[in-house]
This record gives sequence, C-alpha cells and structure tokens, in this order.
Amino acid sequence: MLDNLVLNLRVAYARLWVRVKGGNREPEWLVAEMFIPVLTLSAYVFMYRMLHAPPEFTGFVVIGGTMIAFWVNVLWNMSAQFYWEKETGNLEIYLVAPISRMAILLGMALGGFVNTTLRAVAILAAGILIFQVPFSLSEPVTALLMFFLTIVALYALGMLFASLFLLYGREAWHTANLFQEPVYFLSGSYFPTSSLPFFLQLLASFIPLTFGLDGIRQVVILNKGIADVWLNVLVLVVFIFVLLPLSKVALNYMENLGKKEGRLTLRWQ
Amino acid sequence: MAVSTILKAVKQAIWVGWKVETNWADPLVFAIYYLIRPLAGLLIVGFIYLIGSGATGVFNPNYFAFMFIGNSFFIYVVQIMTTMGMLIHDDRSHYEVLKHIYLAPSSLWWYILGRALNGVVNASISLLLTLGFGVAIFQGLLHQQIPINWFSVNFPVLALSLVLGMICFVALGFLLCGINIMTSRVQFMLSEYVSGILYLFGGVVFLPEILPSWGQAISNALPITYFLRTIRFAFLNQAGSAFQTDLLYLAVTTLATILVGVGAFKIAMYKARKDGLIDRKEEY
Repeated sequence: MLDNLVLNLRVAYARLWVRVKGGNREPEWLVAEMFIPVLTLSAYVFMYRMLHAPPEFTGFVVIGGTMIAFWVNVLWNMSAQFYWEKETGNLEIYLVAPISRMAILLGMALGGFVNTTLRAVAILAAGILIFQVPFSLSEPVTALLMFFLTIVALYALGMLFASLFLLYGREAWHTANLFQEPVYFLSGSYFPTSSLPFFLQLLASFIPLTFGLDGIRQVVILNKGIADVWLNVLVLVVFIFVLLPLSKVALNYMENLGKKEGRLTLRWQ
Repeated sequence: MAVSTILKAVKQAIWVGWKVETNWADPLVFAIYYLIRPLAGLLIVGFIYLIGSGATGVFNPNYFAFMFIGNSFFIYVVQIMTTMGMLIHDDRSHYEVLKHIYLAPSSLWWYILGRALNGVVNASISLLLTLGFGVAIFQGLLHQQIPINWFSVNFPVLALSLVLGMICFVALGFLLCGINIMTSRVQFMLSEYVSGILYLFGGVVFLPEILPSWGQAISNALPITYFLRTIRFAFLNQAGSAFQTDLLYLAVTTLATILVGVGAFKIAMYKARKDGLIDRKEEY
C-alpha cells in the first residue's frame, strides 16, 4: 500500500518535472502565453471604457483574463494531453507501466499549475499596471482559498475530460476547441454572471470556474469576505468531491472501451 | 503552368480542406461547431455592451450595431489565420504529406491557396449562422435593437470589401505559412498573435480613437481597420462616411500585405528547399 503510494507520488513528480521543464524551455511559448491573453483582455477593457462603465469592470476583466489562463491550460495541457501522448507514442508506455493513470494526470495538473501560475501572475501584473485596476482586498486568506478551490475543481474537470481523449481523436480535439469561448462566456470571464438570463445562469452553474471567478472577484474587487462567499466555497468543494472520483471511473471505463475497440494506440484519428 | 492545372489543384485543395475539416462530424454537428465558438464570442461582447450600458444607464444601439458587425466579420480573420497558421505543421509533421504535395506536378502555392479558400468558405458559413443567431438572440430574445436594415445592405460595397479583405487575409496567411516552413515552434501561437493584434488594434469592438496615440498609429496601418469600416458602411449606411477613402486605404494596405506575405513565403520556400526543411518532422 505504502510502496504503491510512494511509486505513484514519484510518477506524479516525474510528470510534473517534464511538464515544468517542457513548458518553460522555449521562451517564445512563455512570452506568447503571457502576451496573447493581454491582447483580448485589453480589447474588452477598452470596450468598457468606451461605454464609460465604472472602473471595477476593468477589474472584472483582468481577473477573468487571468483565470482563463488556467482554463486554457486545463483544456489543452491536461485534457488534450492524452491526444498528444497518443500521437507521439507515449500513451502506450503509460498504459503498460504499473502505475495509476490518476498519478500521471496529477503530475500534469501540478506541473500545469506551476507553469500557468507564472503566466497568470504576468497577465495580472500587466493588467494592473496598464489599466490601473482598483483592487480592494481585506481578506487575502479567503481570496487564496477561493483561488485554490477553483484550481482544484478545474483540474478535476480536466481529468474527467482527459478520459475522452483516450478514445477519441479529432472529435475530442474539436470538443476541447468548442469549450473555450462558450466557457469564457458562460462563466462570466469578462462580466458578472448575475446579469445573465436565468437559463444561462443555470448552464453556467455546471462550470466550476463560474463560482470561482465570482468568489474571487467579490473578495478581491468588491472587498467582501468569507461570510459573503461561503456558498461559492461550498459549491466548489462539492465540485471537487464529485469530479475527482468521477474522473477515475471515467478513465477506467474509457481505457477498457479503448482496449476493446483497439483505439488506444490509434494515431491520426 | 496551364490554367486548367492550376484550377484543378485549387479545386482539389479546397476539397481536401473540406474533407479534413469536416470528416470527423456529420453536417449538423459540423454546423453547430462552426456556430458555437463565434456565437459565444459575439455573446461575450454583446453582454459586455448590455452590462456596461446597464451600469451607466446609457444604451447606444448604433454602438451595438458597430460592435455586432465588427465582431461577426472578424470571423474571417480568425478562420483564415487558424487554417493557414496550422496548415504547414499539419501537413508536414502531423499527416506527413507536405513532401508529396511539394513533389506533385502542381505547385504548393495553389494547394495552399485552395486550403485558404476552404477557410474562406467555412468562415462564410460561420458568419451567416452567427449573424442569423445573433440577431435572433439579441433582437428576438433580449429585445436589443440592432439598427441595421438587412434589406438595404449596399451589396456592391460589401462584395468589393469582402474580395479585398479575403485577398488581404489570405496574403497574411501566406506570411504565416512562410514562417511555419522555417520553424516548427510557433504554429500554435502565430495565428493567435495575429488575430489578437488585429482584434485589439483593428477597431473590431471599439473605436480605435480611444486607443493611445501609438495604438491609433498601429490601427491606421492595418488593413482590418479599413476592411471593417467599409463593411460597416455597407451595412449601416452611414451618411457622409468617407468610404471611398477607406476603400482606397484597404486596397493599398492589401497590396502591401500581398507584397510582404507572398515575398516572405517565396523566400521561405527557397530557404526551406536549400536547408532541407520541407520534410523535417518535429514532434510538437
């Protein structure tokens, strides 16, 4: 039992190391991942300025743009990772090794978190410096708690999506593509979701990022505390407790299905 | 090269592009896919407008129409840049067919042009769906007035702007192909860079006049700025707008983009052949 735990922790560390090393070895990638989100984010800030909206809306956009970095990382460097591994021939090596798939995904998640945090800090700093965002933070621990829970819930969702890539190729690729802008919209990355119609709010409530973003903004921009965001905390905890076991079940199911259909090592799907 | 050979190559490339883009889904799923992303983008800016205006209590339907048209027609930029930005990587490293295309009797130029035209077709489908659903959602469901008379669109100006715009964006795509021939490290980010810069400085969702002076200078040098101005003229019938001047600037900036894009691709192909890059495979 202990040996197994140590083995899987070593697996997670090994995958984390590859992710951190690989993610930062090329400066052009690093610069792009910091610079490109600032372009879109700036366009939306200018839109609010054109509308003469209050300055806190600029803060909403900057926080949303920063958190989007994590969502993009979850989609492409976590969920879609099995697609890359399949294409490069690594997936079969993972599958025959006496290790847990969840340990590999945990390593990817932790490595992705380290890399994306570096980029997110840069995006946040750029947003604050360029647009003079008015932050008002009195409970930093609550802000950190909200951030931490959001990240864990997002990466748990990423683990769930990863199971799809065990079986599917281009369909899953396009699905990941499909989950970008619609999630930016539904989760209220650039505006508060409380302004959305009820039906859309209902849809948005299936995305952990919605609750995370809302909570972080309330604490960081609107100077609210744990008493105001406890519901967000609770929902995120529920997401984590549902998504993590579900992703394990989904991974096992898809792996077995992939074996039966002979699609685990199929390239160029 | 005979015209018939060129036309055949372009036609086949469009067909290949269509097959590659669509063969993972049935037509309905494909249409939904080509609708959802741009529609979500439109909904983001639409709700920014509604929420931002709601906060100040000032609703300006003309600005909504400005933003609605700008964001919708930006689909062409995103689609063409995505298609052409990934083309070389996909065919060289992923499907490993670039060397075969290079060896074919036709030229790689016409193949790339055909794939780009497929991107234009896909973007057009996406645009029509987005406009239709965008009007249905904002005007029909959310009762946001969009002051566009769809029956009095100036079609000659629209057609001319679209033709010039497509030529310009495809030329820009050739520049991306040229860069991607030389390196295997930037294909995933190149189209995002170009789209992001054009989105911010091209007057897509806000007037470039509110940018700092250096940003306005960049905006004035970009063909997308004039493309969207002439497109808006065709839809919004702004009286007194100097659309002839905008059209002229669009033509001039398009010509400049052709010279840069085609020139860079030609140099890149020469160097790629010389340095043996045409079949270089890297796992990215």
